[in-house]
Amino acid sequence: MVAVFVKQTLFSLVLDNGIVLLGESLPSLESVAIAFHAPAGGMHDGPNRCGLATLAGEMMLRGAGGRSGRGIVEDLEGSGVQWAQSVSTSHASFSGAMVARQLSDALPIYADILRRPLLEEEQIENARQMVLQNLAGTEDDPAHRAMSALRQIHFPAPWGMPSEGLTADVERLAIDDVRLFVASHVRPHNTIIAIAGRIDWTAFVTQIKQLFGDWQAGDAAGVVTGSRGARFRHVPHESQQTHIALAWSAPPYRDDTSYESTAALAILGGGSSSRLFSEVRERRGLCYSVSAGYQTQRDFAAALCYAGTTAARAQETLDVMRVEINRLPGTIEAAELDRVKARAKSGLVLQQESSAARAGAIARQWYHLGKVRTLAEELDRYDRLSVASIEAWLAENPPADLSVVSLGREPLEVPLEVSA
Amino acid sequence: MKFLREQLDNGLEIVAEVTDDALSTSIGCFVKTGARDESDDLWGASHFLEHMVFKGTQDLSGDEINRRFDWMGASANAFTNEEDTVYYATVLPAQQQEATDLLGRMMRPALREEDFITEKLVILEEIRMYDDQPPFGADDQCRAAFFGTHPLARSVLGTVASIQALPVESMRDYHRRRYCPGNLVLAATGAVDFPALVASAKRLCGDWEPQPTVPRCVPPPQMLQPSIARIVRPTATLEYAVSMSGGPSENDPDRFAAKLLAVVLGDDSGSRFYWALVDSGEAEHASCQHQDFLDAGLFTTQLSCDAADVTDLLDRMREIYRSASTDGMTAKEFTQARNKLAGRVVLAGERPRRRLFDVGLEWSHSSTYRSVADNLQIVEKLTLDDLHRVIKKWRLDGPTSTVLAGPSTADSPPQSVD
Repeated sequence: MVAVFVKQTLFSLVLDNGIVLLGESLPSLESVAIAFHAPAGGMHDGPNRCGLATLAGEMMLRGAGGRSGRGIVEDLEGSGVQWAQSVSTSHASFSGAMVARQLSDALPIYADILRRPLLEEEQIENARQMVLQNLAGTEDDPAHRAMSALRQIHFPAPWGMPSEGLTADVERLAIDDVRLFVASHVRPHNTIIAIAGRIDWTAFVTQIKQLFGDWQAGDAAGVVTGSRGARFRHVPHESQQTHIALAWSAPPYRDDTSYESTAALAILGGGSSSRLFSEVRERRGLCYSVSAGYQTQRDFAAALCYAGTTAARAQETLDVMRVEINRLPGTIEAAELDRVKARAKSGLVLQQESSAARAGAIARQWYHLGKVRTLAEELDRYDRLSVASIEAWLAENPPADLSVVSLGREPLEVPLEVSA
Repeated sequence: MKFLREQLDNGLEIVAEVTDDALSTSIGCFVKTGARDESDDLWGASHFLEHMVFKGTQDLSGDEINRRFDWMGASANAFTNEEDTVYYATVLPAQQQEATDLLGRMMRPALREEDFITEKLVILEEIRMYDDQPPFGADDQCRAAFFGTHPLARSVLGTVASIQALPVESMRDYHRRRYCPGNLVLAATGAVDFPALVASAKRLCGDWEPQPTVPRCVPPPQMLQPSIARIVRPTATLEYAVSMSGGPSENDPDRFAAKLLAVVLGDDSGSRFYWALVDSGEAEHASCQHQDFLDAGLFTTQLSCDAADVTDLLDRMREIYRSASTDGMTAKEFTQARNKLAGRVVLAGERPRRRLFDVGLEWSHSSTYRSVADNLQIVEKLTLDDLHRVIKKWRLDGPTSTVLAGPSTADSPPQSVD
C-alpha cells in the first residue's frame, strides 16, 4: 500500500475587488505555472449564441493594451512562456508555464489580455473562422462527438452545451455580442489567479495588486438553468466503430461524497484492473477503449461511461457494460478499493512534480469549494473511504435513469432496465 | 543529478539518472525492436506483442499484472513505434523494487494462445479506431510512400489482414529473438535507488540466456520518388494532408537545428504557418515537425482545412518553405523559437516520467547520455546560420510524398507535386 509524506506550502488571498489569488510553492522546481480563470465560460453564452464565450476568448488574444495579437504571442514566446488559452463551461482561461525568472515580464501581458482587450472589428471574421475550423475538426472526432452529445442530453442547458460552440450560432455572432460579453463577464469578482512552482508569493501579490488592484466592474447576470433533453440519442455516422456513451447523475464536487463518487467510478472503469476494462476489453476483446469516470460542473455532476467498438459487436458491448454497471451496487470489494486509493494517493503526489498541474488543481478546488484542500486533507479523506461508504453512495446514487448516446451506422437497443 | 550505468554478464544494460529529491521514480524496459524489425509475415507483431506482455507470465495472469500495478499506485503503460517497444511505470520511490520486479517478469510473457486470440480482437479494434479518426490513415500511407522499400515504411499497427494472419508461434519466435538481454535496456529516472535497481535486474534477468543480437536491416539511402495519393472519406468534414520529405537522422548533428527549424516554420503557435494559415482561420491545423530515426530522418508537414482550399493552402505552405530557404529567417523569429524550445526543455526536465523516455531512448539508440543542462546548452548554442544550412540542404520546398484524406474525390487532384 502507498504511504505518502509531502511538505506543502499553500497561499490564498482575496483582493478587495474580488480577485482570488492562490499559490503553491514547489521549491524543487525551476518553473512556475500561472493560470487566469475569468468567470466567462460557455454557460453565459445565452440562447442561440452557443460559442460566444469561445469566440470572445479568441478575440481577447487578438490584441490587448499596446500589443497586437501577434505582439502578444511574440512577447510571450520570446520569453519562453508555454502559453495556452481555453474556454470551458465555467471559465475563460489564459495560462502559461515558464522558467520562474520570466514571470514578472509575463504578468503585464496577461493583465492587458484580461483588462484591455482591443476586440477590434477587423479581427472578428478571422476569429470566427478559427472557431469554425475547430468545430469542423471536432466533427471528425467520433469519440468527442459522442461524449459531447451525451453531455448535451444529460445536463440541463446551459451546463451541457458544448463550449466550443455550435456552427449555426457562431456564424451569427457579431462584434457587439463579443464586446458586451467581455464587458459583462470578464471582470474581477470571482476571477481566480492561481500560481504554482518556484514562487515568491510576496513579490507576486505586490505585482498583481499593481496590475489588477484598481480593476472594477459591475455585477454580472446569473445563469438560468433550463431543462434536460431526451435521454436517448442516436447520432448517425458512417464509421467502422460504434461509440457508446452513458451517464447517470451524481452529486457535484462540493458534496463531501465526491471522493466516494470518484472511487466508485474508478472501481467501475478507472484503471486497467477496473471492472469495465477487465470484462469488456481483457476478457472479451470487445474494444480497445473503454472507461468510466466522474465529471463535475458547479451544480451538476455525472458518472460517464464510454466504449468504442466495431458496429457488429456494439450491442454486445453495451449489454456487457450494462451488466457491469448494474452489478456494481452491493459488490464492492476491499481489494478493489485499496487499489483505487493507492492510485489516487500516488496521483496526488505525482501532481506535485508539475507546476501546471498544481496551478490547475488549486484553482479547480477554489471554484468548487471556496477553499483549497491541503494534500494532507485529501490523503486523509482517501484513507477514510471504506467499502461501506462507497456502498452507501451507490445506494444514494444508483445507476438509474441513464442517458445513452450511440454514434455510428445503426442505433442500438437500449434495454428497459438501463432506461428504467 | 547523476548518471549511473551497469551491465550484467548476459549483456543487459541498466542506466539511471538519479535525482535524490524527486518525489517519484520512473522505471522502463526499453526493447530495441519495432515495426522496422518485422517482415511481411510479422507485420504488426511488435505492437501486438506489447499488448501480449500485459496478458501474463507462466505464473502471473494478466488480471494479476493489472491489479499489481494499480495496487502500487503506478502510472504504467507501454508504447511501440518503428524502432522501440517501451514498458514503463511511474511510482512513489518506496514502490521501486515492486515495479521493477513486475516489469522484469513481464519481459518473459507466457504468450498463451487463448489470450492471443482474445487480444487479437482488441488490436483489430485499435486499427479500426484509428482508421475512423483524422488523418484517416494518411500518415501511415504517406510514410509507406516516402520510405518505399526501406524497413521504416511499415506501419506500427499492421493491417487487419496482417494481424488476422499472424500465428502465435511466429510471435513466440519473434519474442525469443528480439527480447534477448543484449537487446534490452532497463532505465530509471527520479528518486532511484541504483544498487537496488541493479540487484532487481540481476535477480530477475541475470539468468536470461545471452543470444547473438540480430543486426538491424539498414539499407542504403534511396532517392525519394515524389508521389501523391488520395484517401476518399465522403463523410469527413475537413480534408487532411500529410507530406513527407527527408531530414537529418539521429546520427546527424544537424538534427537539433532541424527541430528548431520546424518550430520557426510550423509550430502550433507563433510560427510562419500559424500566422499565415491558422490565425486567419483558413486552416484548422498547419504544422511542420522533424522526426529522426537511426538511419533516416524526415520533415512531416500536416494540414487540415476545408476540402476546397487544400490545393491553395498546400501551395502557400510550399511557398513559405521556399521563401524561408531563399530569403532566410529573421533573428527575431529565431530567438523566439529558441527561447520557446529552451522553455520546453526545462519544463520537460522537471518530470522524471518525461526524462525516462529521453534517457532510455537515447541510451538504447546510441549509448549516450545527455542531462537537461546538456540539452539546454545544445539549444542555446544553435545559430540562425545552422537553420539556414539545414533548410538549404534538406529542401523542404522540394519533392515530397503527399497523401490527402477527406471528402474530396479523385476528380480534383492537387496540381503541384513538387
